[in-house]
Amino acid sequence: MAVNVKRSKLTLLGWAALLVGAAIMLVPLLWTLLLSLKHNADLVGHSDAALHPPYTLENYGAIFGNSRTLRWLLNSAIVALGQTAGVLILSSLAGYAFARLQFPFRRTLFVIVLLGLAVPSQAVILPQHQLFAWLHLHNSYPGLILPGLVGPFGVFFMTTYMRGIPRELDEAAMLDGASRWTIFSKIVLPLTLPAQSTLAVFTFLGAWNDYWWPLISATRSDMYTLTVGLASAQMNYAQTSGLGYLMAQAVFASIPIFIVYIVFQKQIVRAMAGAAVR
Amino acid sequence: MTSERDWRGLLFVAPFVLLYALILVFPLLRGMWLSLNQVDLFGAGHFVGLGNYTSLLHDPIFGASLVNTFEVTFMIVPALTIFALLLALSLNSAGSGAALLRGIFFASAVLSVTIVTLVWRFMLAPDAGLLGEIWKALGWQPLPFLSDVHLVLPALAITTVWWSVGFPMLLFLAGLQQIPQDMYEAAALDQASRWTTFWRITLPSLRRTLILVIMLQTAAQLQLFGQSQLLTAGGPSGASRTAVLFLFESAFGRWELGYASAAAEVLFLIILAVTFTQYWTTGRAAAGSDGR
Amino acid sequence: MASLELKGVRKAFGATPVLDDINLTLEQREFIAFLGPSGSGKSTLLRIIAGLETADAGEVWLEGRRIDNLPPGERGIAMVFQHYALYPHMSARDNMAFGLKNAKVPPSEIERRISEAAEVLEITALLDRKPSEMSGGQRQRVAIGRALVKEPKLFLLDEPLSNLDAALRLRTRVELAQLKQKVDAAVIMVTHDQAEAMTLADRIIVMNDRRIQQVGPPMEIYSRPQNVFVAQFVGSPAMTLLPAILAEGGEFARLKLGDGSVLDTRVPAAALPAGNLRLGIRPEAVRVTNQEATTKGKVDLVERLGERTLVYARLADGQPITAEDDAYSGIKIGDEVPLLIDSSAAHVFGPDGNSSHGTAA
Repeated sequence: MAVNVKRSKLTLLGWAALLVGAAIMLVPLLWTLLLSLKHNADLVGHSDAALHPPYTLENYGAIFGNSRTLRWLLNSAIVALGQTAGVLILSSLAGYAFARLQFPFRRTLFVIVLLGLAVPSQAVILPQHQLFAWLHLHNSYPGLILPGLVGPFGVFFMTTYMRGIPRELDEAAMLDGASRWTIFSKIVLPLTLPAQSTLAVFTFLGAWNDYWWPLISATRSDMYTLTVGLASAQMNYAQTSGLGYLMAQAVFASIPIFIVYIVFQKQIVRAMAGAAVR
Repeated sequence: MTSERDWRGLLFVAPFVLLYALILVFPLLRGMWLSLNQVDLFGAGHFVGLGNYTSLLHDPIFGASLVNTFEVTFMIVPALTIFALLLALSLNSAGSGAALLRGIFFASAVLSVTIVTLVWRFMLAPDAGLLGEIWKALGWQPLPFLSDVHLVLPALAITTVWWSVGFPMLLFLAGLQQIPQDMYEAAALDQASRWTTFWRITLPSLRRTLILVIMLQTAAQLQLFGQSQLLTAGGPSGASRTAVLFLFESAFGRWELGYASAAAEVLFLIILAVTFTQYWTTGRAAAGSDGR
Repeated sequence: MASLELKGVRKAFGATPVLDDINLTLEQREFIAFLGPSGSGKSTLLRIIAGLETADAGEVWLEGRRIDNLPPGERGIAMVFQHYALYPHMSARDNMAFGLKNAKVPPSEIERRISEAAEVLEITALLDRKPSEMSGGQRQRVAIGRALVKEPKLFLLDEPLSNLDAALRLRTRVELAQLKQKVDAAVIMVTHDQAEAMTLADRIIVMNDRRIQQVGPPMEIYSRPQNVFVAQFVGSPAMTLLPAILAEGGEFARLKLGDGSVLDTRVPAAALPAGNLRLGIRPEAVRVTNQEATTKGKVDLVERLGERTLVYARLADGQPITAEDDAYSGIKIGDEVPLLIDSSAAHVFGPDGNSSHGTAA
């Protein structure tokens, strides 16, 4: 007898509830999209106009005519990619040492780094702000990128992953006359590619969506990231360009992140699986 | 590999550890020090001991912000956990329909808080929001979600649940995948009903994930900031001011760095307590998986 | 000139000693097997030779050069790992080339060595495949190839056959024997499988409890075990050991067993220590007989192997003994059978566990 109980058999009611839920998830996004496709003037006073034509792409045209939004996009891209590259490099180096090398204070350092997992950003953000002011790093790319590099999760993640790589491979490479650096770069690093891509996706998402730090560090509008730029547009929208344009900015800002999400869905799910097992 | 006991390993960890010390450890300690000082915009300060903490204790605005934080956390975490669990249970199958729905329910989680609040501002606003339009179409008076003292925290909670339901759903799905299929087969051979199977097998097996989700979400929602700052700026009349918004305002609005730092430390302690509760309940020490 | 020389090698992990004063000399092109149970120190010794562990004391010499202070890659040693340790992200060709590239061997030379080794091992068709696209046997050949192309002075094989299924193991055993003819280097193989050691090795080093128990050619280890451990560890099924005392006799020891039976051995009585002795006798030297018997036993178990039958029995005093019978044996469990012990094949062990053997054996 074939026993197949894991496959959940939903009742009709269950399916209906699910579809309603999915609608609740989608409707706000569709509403945003519709609003972005309207003349700003049409929406004044009655946003239900979004439900009927005429639709237009003029708001999107306006974004491309407005160098500010494009500048924010560029800033977000630089900060997110910079943080991602930085986290991958630092975490791989440190993870390898913690997983494989014997050196003074190894245990102590690892514990100190692990404890960092319990420190929420709000506990350090004010002194960080002061520190970066002393270093004259506010309103600069290094200033926006650096605080994202010190999260201990990447180190912890890479250490765990590298410990899972058989030590025999390192030993075979030693007998093959490989130096420590060659073993790291030619043997261990290529084998961590799945972990690298997972860590990259998460770091990128986190950096792209970060709000707190760029909000207080980037005070000049040409150094805003998209999140901060959109926040300022949102707070001032009454005095500015109108609802349709604002929503077009929101849609525009979500496109890169949705592309990343769709392309890297597998990594995201795998990373969550790892987190749940731990 | 005892021959490798040397200083070279330090070179590998040095880049991270130095940055970590400068940008995380130092600010952490500096924050504790700041909280014991009265510091103004120009950084000049003097030691006041626990003065900031006693002031906080008597500050009704801080007190109210803590209460708001707890309230909104208490609204969000149970709803989020239950929805995420139900979704995971319904969508834990290989079909492409389930895959599509999983994608939809997770999609909002990749958006930034700025976009989420922008979307929900024009869902909730009575004059321009979709909910307002629906209410009007039904012939009712639109609810002033963002300007009513009693509705504003539920409105923040709804926004947050919509935004965050994806991550715990994926955690639960991953947890479900870990349950060995043969347990279900054994239960089926024992003629267990679906209800019994859920309470006796599924839920106990998800215990760790459940605790993880609740604790992660609690820690996250205790730091709720962007939704409140962007949607309502803490209003109306402070009804949606959260603890982090309080420390943001006192640090970057009034430049009371010492006072804000003290508020940050209080919140830090609360979150630490939550985190360590998790380690206790899951019966695993923080250093359980550290270096050999 | 000797190939490998170990002088007074010692090793402890923390407070736990794992190797005690190991001394050993290998001849050129010799095939040596380290045979012992797990925890005997044989793998640690192999890793010390390779340079993957550092000895606490002692020296390692290879062809007249002291190597214990050199890094593993500079010792002129190649190793085939138990789980092969092929680099999963590299093709077979790149796996084999990796060490040569590190040693700055010119590309044309690398190419020549790889194609030569691939031909010998019949893996030419696999050269562009990754390890995940190969069977277990193929992976092992690539691992051997990777060792071969380095043209080392010494090969180390760590449990080379333990990951193969029975059929493949036999075939690979034959191939390793052929390989040994082709390479101009000494080989050390670590194994816990005595059949492997017996078929392949020129000499076997039996290890147990941190020490070398015996060094010698396979048949010497089998027929003249130096102590109880070697006697019991080598040979399958294991040698029977029976408590015995020295009875009155002449030049050769006459032993009295616990059940009262008496056995005239070919072991010189003068060589035996005082005290309680043990008689060691291999199953093939104990026959079920219907003529004049040495003793008799009650059958516990009958194991039919096809070409012969093994009979596990108990003597009158309860001591277990293993005997052999013909293939078509009619013996059943519970039978009382007469047993004839070939006294010329007897080994006698003193209270210290060391042995004395018959002169004519």
